[in-house]
Amino acid sequence: MTVAAKLLVVDDEPRTAELTADLLRRAGYFVEVAASGTEALERIRTASPDLMLLDYEMPDMEAPEVLDSLRAGGRIPFPVIILTGARHSPADQVVGLERGATDFVVKGTDRQVVLARVHSALRERASAPAAVTRGRLHVDASRGEARLGSRALKLERRPLMMLQLLANRSGDVVTRGELLEVVWGSSYRGFEHSLEQAVHQIRRELREPGWIETVRGIGYRFVVQP
Amino acid sequence: MGSGTGSSSSPSRGSELAAALHRLRSTLARVRAELEVAEADGAAPPVVRLLADLREALETLGNVEAAALGVVRVLVVDDDERLGELTARGLRRLGFDAEWTTGLRPLRPREVVVFDLGVAGSLSSTDRAILQGSRPVVLTGAVDAASRALAEDLGASDYLIKPVEPEVLAAAIMRREADD
Repeated sequence: MTVAAKLLVVDDEPRTAELTADLLRRAGYFVEVAASGTEALERIRTASPDLMLLDYEMPDMEAPEVLDSLRAGGRIPFPVIILTGARHSPADQVVGLERGATDFVVKGTDRQVVLARVHSALRERASAPAAVTRGRLHVDASRGEARLGSRALKLERRPLMMLQLLANRSGDVVTRGELLEVVWGSSYRGFEHSLEQAVHQIRRELREPGWIETVRGIGYRFVVQP
Repeated sequence: MGSGTGSSSSPSRGSELAAALHRLRSTLARVRAELEVAEADGAAPPVVRLLADLREALETLGNVEAAALGVVRVLVVDDDERLGELTARGLRRLGFDAEWTTGLRPLRPREVVVFDLGVAGSLSSTDRAILQGSRPVVLTGAVDAASRALAEDLGASDYLIKPVEPEVLAAAIMRREADD
């Protein structure tokens, strides 16, 4: 890591927040602390952290509400989000992760495991291409959004990441191997069937076949349509 | 998906819960006693011992939560760091308490093992016996007869060919969990 990633720790219990911040600072991250959901939203607007560790239960708003506010908040940067919770309920975990969080760590988890989860989530973020607009198409995988004109496209996470990567490299052939590496996190060839399913889903949602060209035996090419 | 609805009220889950609660009380009582002795003597508390006790208390608390809330725990064993972590994260997304390691570690109570067949070559005889007893869900990239035979030898409850969608893996885990 050449530049320390900016992290935001959000917890209404000050001692817990400082202990977590201390762990992350010792690992070389630049860390700020917020004590409520409202403060967290404000810090995201002003400081654009790369990753936020967000306490699930806070007096002013629970994590799903913070995530919903972030999504509704227009074009503010959406950080990688890891939820932390004292209550380890599968339902909470699913709700939080469905709303855009990357991971869930129960409080009291070994500190090295917490660090490993933070490293892993940041690494995945670093390998993802940036949000992009090409003609009528806009894709922002970090916010879980894609639009063709005014129509929102319903794409799962991996097809969305794949469309964003292809659009970023508009006109170039992106190989199947690179798509597997960036989107699936593995060059393992066994994922090729999943890759084909993702292309199928993208084409079906776009409803215009010309956007994604198959380059037989090599990969795919994004072509801007009028 | 990662919670076993209804199973938390079974007699075995009930006695598991009670035993875990007793262990938790016992550990916390020991921590309190250590700190009271240190305070009375004006001495430094035995930090290493207290940390070990608190680690044990948190583990026991995890067992209590798992039994009470029907949390299904999963250990993903895969020597590919990114794939292992992504598989575990995909399962957490479905509500499982999933951890990833490159090798077998002592299993938590009722933990289901998802085992990449590629790791089989590095198992010690002790690990192999633990794995066989856990009746793992085995993942493999190969479809040949030798791989299938190896999976059977490891006591596989299910045998899935990669790539596996998280939902398919989750269904295999729930089938394995329901066997207990």
